[in-house]
Amino acid sequence: MKRLQIAMESTALANGLKVVIAPDTTAPVVTVGVYYKIGFRLEPRGRSGFAHLFEHMMFQGSANAPKMQHIKLINSSGGVLNGSTHYDITNYYEAVPSSALERVLWLEADRMRALKVDDENLRNQRDVVKEEVRVNVLNQPYGGFPWLDLPPVAFRNWANSHNFYGDFTDLDAADLADVFAFFKTYYVPNNAVLLMLGDVKPEEGFALAKKLFADIPAGAPPPFADPTEPEQNEERRGEVEEKFGTLPAMAIGYVVPKRRTADWCAMALLDQALHGGRAGKLYRELVLEEQIAVELDGGIEDIFGYNGPTQMVTRILHKQEYTSATTLAAFDGVIRDLQENGITEDELAQLKVKWESDYFSLLESGHGGMPRYGLMHLLACFTLFDGEPQLVNTILEGFLGVKREEIQAAARKYLRNEKRAIVFRRPATSRAKEAA
Amino acid sequence: MATRAVAENTAVPALAPERQVAWPKRTKARLSNGLEVILVESHTIPKFHGDLYFRSGNAAAIERGPGLAEMTASVVRTGTAKRASRQIEEDLRRIGADLASSAGADTSAISFAGLSEFAEPLLGMVDELAREASFPESEFERERRQKLEEVKLSRTEPGFLASESLRKVLFGAHPYAQVSPSEDQVAAYKREELIGVYRDFYTPENGLLLLVGDFQPDAMLKSIEKVFGAWRGKKPQASVYPAPANPRGRRVYLVHLPGAVQTQILAGCHAITRKNPDWVKLGLTNSLYGGAFNSRLVMNIREDKGYTYSPRSGVNPLRQHGFFSVSAAVRNDVVAASLTEIFYEMDKLRSVPVPEAELADAQNYLSGVFSMGLATQNGLLGQIAVVALNELAEDYLETYRQKVRALTPADLLETSRKYLDSANMQMVVVGDRTQIESQAALFGDLEVFDAHGKRLD
Repeated sequence: MKRLQIAMESTALANGLKVVIAPDTTAPVVTVGVYYKIGFRLEPRGRSGFAHLFEHMMFQGSANAPKMQHIKLINSSGGVLNGSTHYDITNYYEAVPSSALERVLWLEADRMRALKVDDENLRNQRDVVKEEVRVNVLNQPYGGFPWLDLPPVAFRNWANSHNFYGDFTDLDAADLADVFAFFKTYYVPNNAVLLMLGDVKPEEGFALAKKLFADIPAGAPPPFADPTEPEQNEERRGEVEEKFGTLPAMAIGYVVPKRRTADWCAMALLDQALHGGRAGKLYRELVLEEQIAVELDGGIEDIFGYNGPTQMVTRILHKQEYTSATTLAAFDGVIRDLQENGITEDELAQLKVKWESDYFSLLESGHGGMPRYGLMHLLACFTLFDGEPQLVNTILEGFLGVKREEIQAAARKYLRNEKRAIVFRRPATSRAKEAA
Repeated sequence: MATRAVAENTAVPALAPERQVAWPKRTKARLSNGLEVILVESHTIPKFHGDLYFRSGNAAAIERGPGLAEMTASVVRTGTAKRASRQIEEDLRRIGADLASSAGADTSAISFAGLSEFAEPLLGMVDELAREASFPESEFERERRQKLEEVKLSRTEPGFLASESLRKVLFGAHPYAQVSPSEDQVAAYKREELIGVYRDFYTPENGLLLLVGDFQPDAMLKSIEKVFGAWRGKKPQASVYPAPANPRGRRVYLVHLPGAVQTQILAGCHAITRKNPDWVKLGLTNSLYGGAFNSRLVMNIREDKGYTYSPRSGVNPLRQHGFFSVSAAVRNDVVAASLTEIFYEMDKLRSVPVPEAELADAQNYLSGVFSMGLATQNGLLGQIAVVALNELAEDYLETYRQKVRALTPADLLETSRKYLDSANMQMVVVGDRTQIESQAALFGDLEVFDAHGKRLD
């Protein structure tokens, strides 16, 4: 098979800021990203949702680019921008015509150096975030299912189990002092990586990085709370009411082995065997053959983009005429078959071709019109978690080397009831009916 | 003032000279069976992306059954004369491919992506699905049952309910009025009807094959001739529908969703198709109004007032008629306040010329974003498809930026007056009537419906 070799160079400035450049002149467009190694997992206690609220604040003004100017300067340069908060990182990114590269870097440096926001900005973005939570979670059928439902059932460490979007009381409690403390602790150059992808020459990119970011002082190394989970030895279950939807739903999550181990690679292919679209064992059995489920999807979400405990999750919406017990029994049947019989050589070969093909697509995947978001995300996470952006060219090998026996062994070792958590979403309407 | 002035900042680095945007060569061909083919090289990853479009969709099937083209597309991938459903899915995985079959108002499509080294087997699969789908009875029954559940589920989604109502209001008796079938309509689908739609729509004369990716066009064209050459089929007769009546006056349609903790606002009016010479003008007007993060509406009701997370406006170009719309999911107690600002920004664009500097910013935005598609195979495929499906000029991609740059404040004033039809906006609000009815009623004659479209008193 044709190998992909992503050209890249990386360095670090004296203040600890890492810089990664992946040049590609296909289009006169450059994608710029700044990733900070802090996500909602380690936000302060009593401040659930704060990492995300803070992300919003980073668009509210910096020393030389007051509110509205940051957005205006990027849009009016012909570019798009956004940011997002994840478990272990928060990112800010722009795609612009390459003629605007220096301007975008200047804006990122300005807000890394000196955030400048006031109470009015905080009130405004708190309101915006509440509407975001309503439109995505509170006013949507199956909103937040299962990404907000499963963690409190599955995990015991607050870092992994709290409400990542934030309880409204916690959002209301956040004040400007929290904003600046968080900024000072985590938004330091030695806790970040700057990325440039596309139409940029590495030597020019590095020179600009030095010119604009070198004088930002390094901070103390940020403290990181331990996100480790105690060993799980019993199945955990929970229930959440579904306010709008009419179908019963469930999500089943299994603990994933430590990243970048042989077991992790085997688990990833196991995930592909179970959740790989309509050919996946679970979809085939529960949707196509037995026709119990209406929707079924899942997997290890953002497999390269987390750095702590996580799960492989299956999300199922099933027909009302099947009970949760029947649905779960059908699911368990698929898992048991894998444990007892494993997969064939032919199936393993298929899984590997598909995995490699999906990986190429991941590199090119966009995000709201933002080209090469996927490649940027991988380079950033491999830099911040592993110190090795080059992993983007070599990480595939571990997955392509997985053996048949290893898949079956992983199924037996990790897909155990005492290693899983299940959340049921029960429609309020059907419960009312049952009660009547 | 909603949009606060920002002082000129001399520290901001100037833009470097713009690099030339070069659109790649399109290799075009028409096979002897009538299939139109467009190929574009892009070697960013060792894959290729493609679409096989048919120029007939749900609108063309409306008299046989609403949503029938979509149902047909769902069943197309579940069996052929040669392969059963399970075999199809495994064979796709074996070559690392993804495939989807779907239909919208104006087209049906088989979309696919795969590794370049397995291009021929993937094209073979696409050809087989387009020519030899067998519509197995059991697969049809399952997909229909599946669709029934989907239709029920969509009636609980505020966004779906809003767009369904707006389309109904704007398009009346025209096929574009119906975005989704009812449960009864799905229950009434017959396998023979699907086969009829398939036979009529899925023909080479009605088809358009687009491929973008890591291949040599000459060699790829040979493969295409080999794979698709023997296929035969005529273009279906196009149905003509009278233009929908353009609703006059402001009216409000409230869809009552008990217990909703937010209100979905969606307002719209008739506009234009992509073929209309005013398209670029309206596109620029829209990006100033609510089509960009930096637009007036977003700055006003999000960044200034905090009423909503994601306000947006857009021009929705269906093939025969287009419409303009603006949406925002807002806090229940600011429904009236949000509508007031939505109209304020619209009326302002209709009455005060856009300042030159703001116009230049918007022109930069639109022409910059237009070139982003160049960077990836999928992005390029999308832009090639827009040009081909709408039969736009050959040099549309090459001249678009120039056309955007040529517009003046006077053009935008004229365009706003013509298409941001403030006096005749049709408003849909989806939410809990007990919290929003009196607010919504301030903006026009109001009617209340339930989630199934039944009128409530």
